[in-house]
Amino acid sequence: MAPTFLLAALLAAPPTTPDLSGPTASADSVAVAVVPATPNIARPARPGVAHYQPRHLLLQTGGGVGMLSLGGGLSFARRRLDLDALVGYVPARHAGTALTIATVKVKFAPWQLPLGGSGLALTPLAVGAYGSYTFGLRNAGKEGQYPDDYYWWSRTVRVGPVLGSSLSYALPDAANGRARRLTAYYELATNDLYGVSYYLNRRALSLTDIATLALGLKLEM
Amino acid sequence: MFPFFSSSFLRNAFVGALAAGLSACELVEFSPNDHRARADQKDLTAKNLARLIAAPLPPGDTLRFVFSGDSQRFYDDAQDLVRSVNQQPGVQFMLISGDISDFGLGREMRWIDNELRKLKMPYLTVIGNHDHVANGREAYQEIFGPLNYSFVYADTKFVLIDTNSREYNFNGRVPDVPWLRGQLADLNGASRSVVISHVPPQDGDFDPNLRDAYAGTLRETSSLVFEMNGHRHDYSVGQPFNDGVTYVNSYDFEKRKYLIVTVFGDKQFRLKQVSF
Repeated sequence: MAPTFLLAALLAAPPTTPDLSGPTASADSVAVAVVPATPNIARPARPGVAHYQPRHLLLQTGGGVGMLSLGGGLSFARRRLDLDALVGYVPARHAGTALTIATVKVKFAPWQLPLGGSGLALTPLAVGAYGSYTFGLRNAGKEGQYPDDYYWWSRTVRVGPVLGSSLSYALPDAANGRARRLTAYYELATNDLYGVSYYLNRRALSLTDIATLALGLKLEM
Repeated sequence: MFPFFSSSFLRNAFVGALAAGLSACELVEFSPNDHRARADQKDLTAKNLARLIAAPLPPGDTLRFVFSGDSQRFYDDAQDLVRSVNQQPGVQFMLISGDISDFGLGREMRWIDNELRKLKMPYLTVIGNHDHVANGREAYQEIFGPLNYSFVYADTKFVLIDTNSREYNFNGRVPDVPWLRGQLADLNGASRSVVISHVPPQDGDFDPNLRDAYAGTLRETSSLVFEMNGHRHDYSVGQPFNDGVTYVNSYDFEKRKYLIVTVFGDKQFRLKQVSF
């Protein structure tokens, strides 16, 4: 399911309405493009602007991508699929040098459960993946420092899976008619290097050993 | 009865909450290069040295320690190694010749400590090239301690020195030969000396411009029992420079073997290989 939506989202990513009449349009992109707006969740700002792309802002700590991370993103597929970009900061006292971490993250949340008429909605499960690039490491390897393939892994690029849930609160609609929501989320994640360590040592290491936790806020505008 | 139960219950709850809070703090990781650690997993070199010095070798007993290296990402093997070493009688401490971590990450160093802290005896480390990767040098200093240090135990001065020249892009200052010379010139009352480093001087990762000065310093040290290294992941003993100085290389954890080193008399020693 997730790859289908990801593909659909990528196909539908430009803020123009996909041409649905062409014989080459795939079933996936059509499925996303013709999804009707759900009242109070996503409303078209004005005709011609794709309504499945609400913008959101993010504020996050942890998750291996910053003590403090700020970012933004787009939602697709009736806000089930988020594509986020974050920039995180780690001060030198926690990592030896001050680090700046750029992250791209895709999350898919198939269910949203409204909690009565309280304006609250629970997203019980979101799954996804992230990739990050770290700037500012002391020893990421200089040109000619090591023979080829001396270290097989990248010091700067990390990738890993993400799993989480969130609780949303409906805010008054924006002036342009968009539904606004404030969401508190957590994510459990790990990275490729921790994953390799766990895979090779399932007796000595547990999943909690390799887990990281992110806590964040998302403001949909 | 009730107040006692209540207070111990509260105390346990408080300690539990504190532990959960601390682990939550580590769980909210800022970066894999984040080197924050619980208080009891910081300054491990100083803590292990304090434990060692607190139990001096009784007169007449023989200096005996376990020598291994390159624990890297071999955590299952580390578990078995600890079980085996804990059955060895008459061993006073364990030495690990660097590459505690594989990727230079603080969490890896803490994973290794999670196993090695179950040893009945203290353990001491020297930094390896993998511990320098990314911001590993800072993580090592936070979790273990100094990159170059020495201690005296059982009439022997142990000098542990960073020889991972390539990680400094061969800047001509690593290893710090003047520091080594100073350490070996004054043995603080000991009569024997042992030097431990990760990269052996005959290796391509050792600064070629400092090789002669380093090997020469060892050659001129009459108290030297041997030089001990890791990095090569296998046991060897020999005199690569044919100058009377013996170099001993450790097994890595993955080989599932280690050495029991006994030092006695003037500069005599015995190496026993143990499989686990």
